[in-house]
Amino acid sequence: MAFHYFFAHRLHGKRGSVRHASVALATLFAATALVLSGCGSRTSQTGIGASPSSSPNTSASATPMKGGTLTVLTSQSSLSLDPATSQSLPTTTTGLVHRRLTTWKISHGKTTVVPDLATTTGTPSDHGAVWTFHLKKGLRFSNGKPITSQDVKWGIERSFSDTFTGGLSYHKQLLAGAANYHGPFSGQQLNSIETPNDSTIIFHLNSPFGAWPWVASLISFAPVPRGDGTQKSYGNHPVTSGPYQVQSNSPGRELVLTRNPYWKASTDSVRKAYPNRIVYRMGQDDTVAAQQIMQGVNGGDTSILGEFVPPAQLAQAQANPQYSQLLVTSGDGALEYIAINTRHIRNLAVRQAILWATDRAGYRTAAGGAIAGNYATTLITPGIAGRQKYDLYHVPTGGDPARARAILKRAHVTVPTLKMVIQQNKTEQASAIQSSLKKAGINVRIQVLDSGVYSDTVTNNQGNYDLTIASWQPDFPDAYANLAPLFSSSMIGNGNQNMSRYSNRAVDALMTQATQTVDQKAAGKLWAQADQRIMHDIPVVPLIYSHNTFIHGSRVAGFDIGNFPAYPDYLTMGLTRD
Amino acid sequence: MRMFDYILRRLISSLLVILIIAVTLFLIFYMFPSNPAQLSCGKPCSPEQLRRVSAFMGTDQPWYAQLGAYLLGIFAGRTFGTGASAVVCAAPCLGYSFRLNEPVTTLIAERFPVTASIAVGAAVLWIIIGVGTGVLAAVKRNTWVDRLLMALSAIGISSPSYLIGLLAIIVFAFELPVFPSGGYVPFSRNPAGWFSHLLLPWLVLALINAASYTRITRTQMIGEMEQDYIRTERSKGAPESVVVGRHALRNALLPVMTMFGLDLGSLLGGAVLTERVFSMQGLGMLLLDSVTNLDLQVLVGSTLFAAALVIVANLVVDICYSFLDPRVTVGR
Repeated sequence: MAFHYFFAHRLHGKRGSVRHASVALATLFAATALVLSGCGSRTSQTGIGASPSSSPNTSASATPMKGGTLTVLTSQSSLSLDPATSQSLPTTTTGLVHRRLTTWKISHGKTTVVPDLATTTGTPSDHGAVWTFHLKKGLRFSNGKPITSQDVKWGIERSFSDTFTGGLSYHKQLLAGAANYHGPFSGQQLNSIETPNDSTIIFHLNSPFGAWPWVASLISFAPVPRGDGTQKSYGNHPVTSGPYQVQSNSPGRELVLTRNPYWKASTDSVRKAYPNRIVYRMGQDDTVAAQQIMQGVNGGDTSILGEFVPPAQLAQAQANPQYSQLLVTSGDGALEYIAINTRHIRNLAVRQAILWATDRAGYRTAAGGAIAGNYATTLITPGIAGRQKYDLYHVPTGGDPARARAILKRAHVTVPTLKMVIQQNKTEQASAIQSSLKKAGINVRIQVLDSGVYSDTVTNNQGNYDLTIASWQPDFPDAYANLAPLFSSSMIGNGNQNMSRYSNRAVDALMTQATQTVDQKAAGKLWAQADQRIMHDIPVVPLIYSHNTFIHGSRVAGFDIGNFPAYPDYLTMGLTRD
Repeated sequence: MRMFDYILRRLISSLLVILIIAVTLFLIFYMFPSNPAQLSCGKPCSPEQLRRVSAFMGTDQPWYAQLGAYLLGIFAGRTFGTGASAVVCAAPCLGYSFRLNEPVTTLIAERFPVTASIAVGAAVLWIIIGVGTGVLAAVKRNTWVDRLLMALSAIGISSPSYLIGLLAIIVFAFELPVFPSGGYVPFSRNPAGWFSHLLLPWLVLALINAASYTRITRTQMIGEMEQDYIRTERSKGAPESVVVGRHALRNALLPVMTMFGLDLGSLLGGAVLTERVFSMQGLGMLLLDSVTNLDLQVLVGSTLFAAALVIVANLVVDICYSFLDPRVTVGR
């Protein structure tokens, strides 16, 4: 599923829902917003864009104070904090309430994996097929009970229950003997997780997996008190281990987080926990919320917007020096690309022609211009360890339709009209691609789908499309999470993201080898090799690495975005004095 | 007794309508080649995991089996899964949202007060404003008052509620911060907060909806005022207020009542645009969310609820008719 579909929601710990705007409604709102701001600027509806006057990736330099109430305005209508069903990033909402074995530290733009509940990021044995962690001393839940290795194990086991699905499930495919495991509620344990004592936890994997320390940072590795969390509604009021606990959670209205008295800063090297309270106001209209933050009214000065800045407000803020300093733009984030359905378009010459004909400059203009992102040539995105910059084809950014025509002529193929399915927020970009392919004699029919239907269409087993525009930011900053979900032959259909339906045994083997390599430097080299190997087959046309722009109130400090992920770090945010 | 028969017959036909709506929704939904379980499968999703999720949600069954289970659940309740983590949806189970982890009945119960607060408050305002200005325009026919009111109502009818709503927020919540910019406060928690949060949406909705009531009341009033019985009333020396208020208005209100019943009924089913712009999570937003998330059970449940509201409102209007106009008898 496209990045926007999942990612916008993973900020708050909710899985698979979509921004609530139907095609018509979104269009109407965009139109209104443009009218109100008196400006016709073209930016993509996801709010991608950069502010030339704002310093990149960081907010006001003031250090946050301890205390105060930070408000997060979000369009989501409910916020579930269930570790088993969430796909949230470690550095956003669920990171405030749930600790994991390891977590992410974002410092000077770099994201590294660091110990969280554990004392190290894991000790591998058996060539990386067994990983051992020891818990720190003195860890307690928000209910005062000590956190033990059994609680971590219970949390992970819980995620296998048929009732609690929808979360990040990398571990489900890696842990040994997990295929037929249905969770702990019927009294069965997952034997591949050993807990020899209260502070030790050992994982036995199907095969060596070098990036396990990153997997252990994901939300499923948050502890749940043994025996707890049987109810589907557990995520509304979970027992927490992070600096905050849930005071109240009213779907559709607000989630109030207050300090967890049992959390100790001395055991946590990442979470700053500046505000006393963090309040999420749900179901907000993003245009109204952005306006509220800019004008600093109704508590807008101490608020942040949980989503990208809508296009009209982005243009408005950029034009006003007072507002533009409230914007923070990420560096190169998600890869936006055209996925070519390789099961429909089997002829490499046709895929080559599509690559040469694609006018990336036109695409970027339609997405909002230079502010939308930088041109992409690699599949592994910047900020991911092991990435090697390369440009296999040196296609001009405006495309080369003449060369595309020549390729087709040489191969003696005529291309039938291709069906491109897209989400409603990509209509302008799709038209740009349509007209550039037409210059090379390739006709494209665009079908616009509502987000839920779109994600189903591109990830189901039928694959009834030839082309689609997608974007992807990995779930953790490792090339495995970057390439495997998009290009592994096991990720075709069934709700998975290999939208090119690309299957190449040699590439599968190379990715498996890279996955099993524990030495991360050596693994990085293999991944870089896989990156280029895939691009030889052109299952996708890389377009841009998109930039996301966010907005925060004038009294919010520490609103930083590292190189990965292209989202603000909620763990280090706070308020300044008046 | 005749009234009782009438209501009974109407109720039965209403249930039939609701059943047809439910079947149609299921059929439309299953024309998509989609499996909602895919959205709940997790990332990455293995075929085995997808099979498990589909079995748990019941989406692996053919559509008629799912429809049957759904309809049965309304009367008998449903249980998804087994054991300690089984999900129980007690009767009347209008479905269960696996996305929001709540039975649809609970969701509706949570959201309905929001929509009802918006709709009823706005309806009271617009009927007063609409009928009042309509009568005034009719009485002052062809004067500047009439022309001004007609011009204003033309603006009202042609203004989209989201535009007026957004402008109202910018003016009254941001520039002159007298109202909150949005959100909903339950009446039980803080009546004053409830009122202050709702006033702006009420005014916006009322002004827009009142416009068409102004027009229809005016037209009806003018028609009535030209009737013979009005002339007779006047010739008998009845004061103008009695002529207008007790005789003409009472007759003119009949079509207005019909329109009001339908408008209020459909608004109670969800004021999508108003809810969205004022950041209130009512039934309209619930319905919209369910469409974009392929949340079939919420979609069907909330649509059925909305349909039931319109049907009930219609019924109430028809019954009220007989009180307003003794010539109209129910069931004939």
